[in-house]
Amino acid sequence: MKFGQEFQKALASTEFPEEWRGSAIDYKHLKKCIKKINTELESIGLDGETLHHLSEWMSPADSIQTVAGQDGKGYYSAATPSLAAVPEEFTPQLRILVDSKTGTPLDATLAPETRESLQKLAKHEMAAAGRREHVGSVKRPLDRLRRRTATEDTARKQSVSLEDARWVQVPLASAKDFFELLEPKLQELETLREAETAKLEEEIFDLGEAVENVVEPVREGFEARREVSYRDLYFWREMFRLYMEKPIFYSEHGPNGGALTFKEAHSRLEDYDMRIRSTGLLEKMRTPEARQAAKRFLDLNVDILKIMHFQEMNARAMTKILKKFDKQTRLEGRAFLRNLRTQYPALLTNGRTGTGGGSTSPGGFASSIARDLNAELATKVLGIVPQVEDWNCPVCYAMAWRPVNLGCCTSVFCINCIIKLQEEGVERCPVCDKETVLQANGRNIDFEAMDFMEKYFPLEAKKRQKFHDRAAKMAERGGGGGKHEEEKEKIPCRTM
Amino acid sequence: MAAPLPKRIIKETERLQNEPVPGISALPHDDNARYFDVMVEGPGGSCYEGGVFNLELFLPDDYPMTAPKIRFLTRIYHPNIDRLGRICLDVLKNNWSPALQIRTILLSIQALLGAPNPEDPLNEAVAKQWKENQAEAIKTAREWTALYATAKK
Ligand SMILES: [Zn+2]
Ligand SMILES: [Zn+2]
Repeated sequence: MKFGQEFQKALASTEFPEEWRGSAIDYKHLKKCIKKINTELESIGLDGETLHHLSEWMSPADSIQTVAGQDGKGYYSAATPSLAAVPEEFTPQLRILVDSKTGTPLDATLAPETRESLQKLAKHEMAAAGRREHVGSVKRPLDRLRRRTATEDTARKQSVSLEDARWVQVPLASAKDFFELLEPKLQELETLREAETAKLEEEIFDLGEAVENVVEPVREGFEARREVSYRDLYFWREMFRLYMEKPIFYSEHGPNGGALTFKEAHSRLEDYDMRIRSTGLLEKMRTPEARQAAKRFLDLNVDILKIMHFQEMNARAMTKILKKFDKQTRLEGRAFLRNLRTQYPALLTNGRTGTGGGSTSPGGFASSIARDLNAELATKVLGIVPQVEDWNCPVCYAMAWRPVNLGCCTSVFCINCIIKLQEEGVERCPVCDKETVLQANGRNIDFEAMDFMEKYFPLEAKKRQKFHDRAAKMAERGGGGGKHEEEKEKIPCRTM
Repeated sequence: MAAPLPKRIIKETERLQNEPVPGISALPHDDNARYFDVMVEGPGGSCYEGGVFNLELFLPDDYPMTAPKIRFLTRIYHPNIDRLGRICLDVLKNNWSPALQIRTILLSIQALLGAPNPEDPLNEAVAKQWKENQAEAIKTAREWTALYATAKK
């Protein structure tokens, strides 16, 4: 079928490392397994048509919904024994509703000979089950027993006729093969996720150090290179600003908040690459170290995308094959999947449990990779290059220059804004509301912040300083009470 | 010749456009970027629900040192809003802080619609009615909302 071919082709053609391929879901083989199951089902008289009839009353498997009253078949909707309740030793089984006294299957649509063979199977199973319950009760965890009892109680309450009916599960050998083939793959994919995430985290950490070395503005003894590193700093800032404008793997808000799918991430990375190219940022960087680190940053994104793609493809393959299994065998593949999700929490990280693989959320382990590595990148690499927005004054929204800290909270304001506040008679700090504005004086200038801004935002600092000087001159010239008016008058001449 | 617009006003306007607040809009005039046409929807569950209220907002020269000037253009039956549309709201007066923004003010106004406060009245008559016969007052507020604040466009 289409998907299988697509899957094989993608596995073979893209540049996935050889060692990953071994962990991929064996879609072809699993499909063959399903065929075998069907053969086995047919051999006990459950051909496609019978299964279809059976499925009509077997399908509400996920809930205890009653359809009592319809043709007196109330018991058909009995609480189905949940395979999810016994996950540790999962064996796919066919569920048959039987009369508990005679062991007669209660499905009217079964052919007489089918009924006979089912009766035999069921009787055997009931006897065996009785023995197992007796012998195995010590080993069995208590809660599992309790759960089972609870199910039976609910069932009994729902319909009187259930007293005479009970579910019997017939193990199917070929179906067991199917799951034995599938489950280890998930383990392998989880191991791969862990290993690759760790590897990429290490690379992120190294890259962070490299970037720090490159952008650290003025190091002792390197003053001669000041101009060069200043310029590079601005290129880095632009590079990361573009990145944060539209993060590749994870978006905090918007309709697709959360981890993005491979397809979305892929197109975002392409966009980003294009923008970096069109601005020529890489070529503009002066030092080879800076250029190299920038390339590493781009490569790292490609690597994250690759493992995301691989995991997402496999998640889709798994969902598809389980759907197929459900559809063609009517056995409980879904319960199996549910069980796996509790075993591998990373499968669930974005909170969307939708079984549909083709939806907007990335499948399987891909989302956890996207989320984890996005966070790592943000703190360990992007955070190293400070953005000017983080130093804006809460009053005028320009860079807080010269920076004044009122001592009441961590906010930093422009000295001009504080002077204006004082002139207006505003007493309380605009941010924390404490009465600190009027006491502020020259001692409140935050020299540490000023130092930092001068180093990391030299262009902005220069520009703001010019503005500041001009304002100061105006204030001097104006003198006395008319100062406020004069300042306002002169502002129109400003060229900013 | 208009003075160049402060960076702060430019940024606030951009953000109002790019990240709009649900149920609230504020558009600057083409010829005066300090003058905004404001629309506020009555909050769900209040007696102003379903109403769309027009307001005018002006940023004075010394904004954000002083609060924006704002008033209702649409008639509204509310103990803290008078016949001229003036609003009795602490953050517009004593509790104004330069760290507040147009969007926070509009949100406060929307909240005021959801929680009328007759103990601090601006419109004595409405406040009196509100205290003496709240059911009747709410009914009137609903009627006025239907009459004056239903979008006709
Ligand atoms: Zn400022
Ligand atoms: Zn403060």
